[in-house]
Amino acid sequence: MTTASRPKGRKKINWAPYLLILPSLIYLALFFGWPMVQGLILAVREEGALLTLRSEADRDGNLAGQLPRGIQVGILERQGNPIPPEEAGQSNLLTEVWFRIRGQDTEGQLIEGWTPERRIRVRESDESGRPVAGSVRSILASSADPLTRIYTEADEDSAVVGKMGARAPVEILDQATLEVWFLISGEFENETIEGWVPSRYIKTLSDGTQGRIEQGDTSQFTTKYIQKMVNDRFFWPALRTTLLLIVLIIPAQFVLAIIMALVIQADLKGSGLFLYIFSIALGVSDLAVGILWYSIFTQSGYLNSILQGLGLIDTPTIYLSADTRYWILIAIWLAEVWRATALVMVIVVAGMQAISREVLEAAEVFGATLWQRIRYIILPLLRPSLQVALILRTILAFQVFAVVIVMGGGDILTVLANETYRQYYDLRNFNVAAAYASFILLLSMITSFFYLRAVRTQEEVAE
Amino acid sequence: MTGAADVQSKVVQASPEVKAIHRRMLRRQRLGRALTYLVGILISLWVLIPIWFIASMALTTPVEVRSYPKSILPFIPLSTDTMEFFLNSRGILPGLRNSIVVALITLTLSILIASPAGYAISRFIFRGRNIFRLSILAVRAFPIVVLSIPLAVVFLRTGIYDSVYSLALMHTALALPTTILVLSSVFSSIPYELEEAAMVFGCSPFQAFRHVVFPLVLPGIAASAIFTFVMSWNEVFAATILTVQNRTLPAQVLVTLNQSSEPYQFAGGFFMMIPALIFIFFIRRYLFNMWGQISK
Repeated sequence: MTTASRPKGRKKINWAPYLLILPSLIYLALFFGWPMVQGLILAVREEGALLTLRSEADRDGNLAGQLPRGIQVGILERQGNPIPPEEAGQSNLLTEVWFRIRGQDTEGQLIEGWTPERRIRVRESDESGRPVAGSVRSILASSADPLTRIYTEADEDSAVVGKMGARAPVEILDQATLEVWFLISGEFENETIEGWVPSRYIKTLSDGTQGRIEQGDTSQFTTKYIQKMVNDRFFWPALRTTLLLIVLIIPAQFVLAIIMALVIQADLKGSGLFLYIFSIALGVSDLAVGILWYSIFTQSGYLNSILQGLGLIDTPTIYLSADTRYWILIAIWLAEVWRATALVMVIVVAGMQAISREVLEAAEVFGATLWQRIRYIILPLLRPSLQVALILRTILAFQVFAVVIVMGGGDILTVLANETYRQYYDLRNFNVAAAYASFILLLSMITSFFYLRAVRTQEEVAE
Repeated sequence: MTGAADVQSKVVQASPEVKAIHRRMLRRQRLGRALTYLVGILISLWVLIPIWFIASMALTTPVEVRSYPKSILPFIPLSTDTMEFFLNSRGILPGLRNSIVVALITLTLSILIASPAGYAISRFIFRGRNIFRLSILAVRAFPIVVLSIPLAVVFLRTGIYDSVYSLALMHTALALPTTILVLSSVFSSIPYELEEAAMVFGCSPFQAFRHVVFPLVLPGIAASAIFTFVMSWNEVFAATILTVQNRTLPAQVLVTLNQSSEPYQFAGGFFMMIPALIFIFFIRRYLFNMWGQISK
């Protein structure tokens, strides 16, 4: 089928084909390979399962230990810490703002230093909204030091430059936004771990001395999602229905497709019209086909209309309900056979066109019946085509989705693809959805492998 | 075949027994032919009657759609009311526009990326060619479901979730393997000698492609483009997963299915089938080119 074009006797590698396939390779790697890997990772990795505690309130501080998500911790101390510029825009940060101010201290000396925003009442801002001047707030609590401390750095642990009295006017020179860090202590596996963490991972409770780890910063391998999938009450029904549908649909499709192909290959007048009609379904979506068959099986649909018109029933029967699951199954089966047989038919016809006419005519001359011709000539020669069609169809059958939703709303009768959709869309459980997707992938690969093996062994036996 | 047999029987004076056998064979052949027609017509009815049903529902008044028992005679009264009701429902016209935009981007991208690869497979023998072909086949067979979930999560993180463009990127990934295989079979059907001849007469390889091969493969590329369009138009699962506000037509219909009335559903079902009815007619000759390639 190929016209080889490499000039003879040239040793140099021809780079042209590689350049030509490069765009598609890159595209498929980006939008196929990478997501596939991501999907598998999503199914077995729990993101943010563990929170790393540091011995100092510093991103690069020594490791103090790790605590799992969800446990209760005590909050012992808090401290502001500079935010890395790339995280400045995040909305989930608990921050505090510090001002660098200049003003007179209690002894009348001009001092300059940092103080938390809560200690300053802003009186003036420039056009861009930056505060430029303000005054020191008074501290109302009688027990505390009534003076406001000014620090050398935006940190309550740094040296004190001086103290200012209430209502002292100040110039605001600069401001810094800091993220609050907590010193937490929690118990995990009978060990108390204490350390600093950014406050964004902690949800503080009631009075602020207790908290819960909301989110970790390190991911961990987990079988949690797979277990959740297997223990889901819809998992086994979905798997059972999916497999049942495959067993029901595929043989019917293959028989029908081979009959269609024989009709088209019979060289009748008008076989072009037959070809068009047979392949219409190839371009119809499973959603449209679902609706199509729904219009027949719904209570006021065509099936009831016809039966009543023939006088076979008096009142319309309800087919698509929880009490008559088998009718839903039958409707899905009919819809899928109606839709997807066209694909098998086209592959089979393409395979039949490769069978030489002479062989078939010879068989006919020697008196082979139609059945004998199919059984001993057409089917064996069609084996590669059938194998491909079988693999494609099975993999597609794992994805039956819209038809099921149309017929039963996705609750009464469910399939694996529908469960993936439900986990993702209704329950917002991305990881379990990814587990379902990976499971479908695994099943598809197993069946493909099985088909390839089965056909190969047959060939070996034949030889 | 019958003609040949007639000539033979004239040349050789056949004995009565041979004539009888000949008649029997002819009869059997005619019987077989009639039987084939019958089977073909039966299968055609199996395909067409459901379409007939839904078309007659979509092209009548909503009152008629709700009535029971339905008349088997279709299109009475013939009316566009149901169709208009569907098209004027919330989200349908934007969905239609999104569907067309997604399908057009998908079609353009996949043809642009797949043509060079298809050409390479059909014209060059290079190390890794078979691996490339096989991996394309393998990719073709991978389930959409498997791809949608991780892509949705990635798109969410990168902030391009819920956009027609990201959905088109995904549809291109789905369509690309088939398009590459189809286009390589289209290129293979043009003899290389034509290109060679053009180059002998002084064309550069690119000119040879542009002026000789390109006009010849244009119908095949068009067929493949149509097929890609239909595939994208029909795709439901990924469209539902990857979009929220900017739904395509099938996604919109699927999501609103439970809360909608039967006239809406049936009109929607029929409307989504229309491109298939039209386009399959134009590309039916190319179908075997497309799928035959896959089984090789």
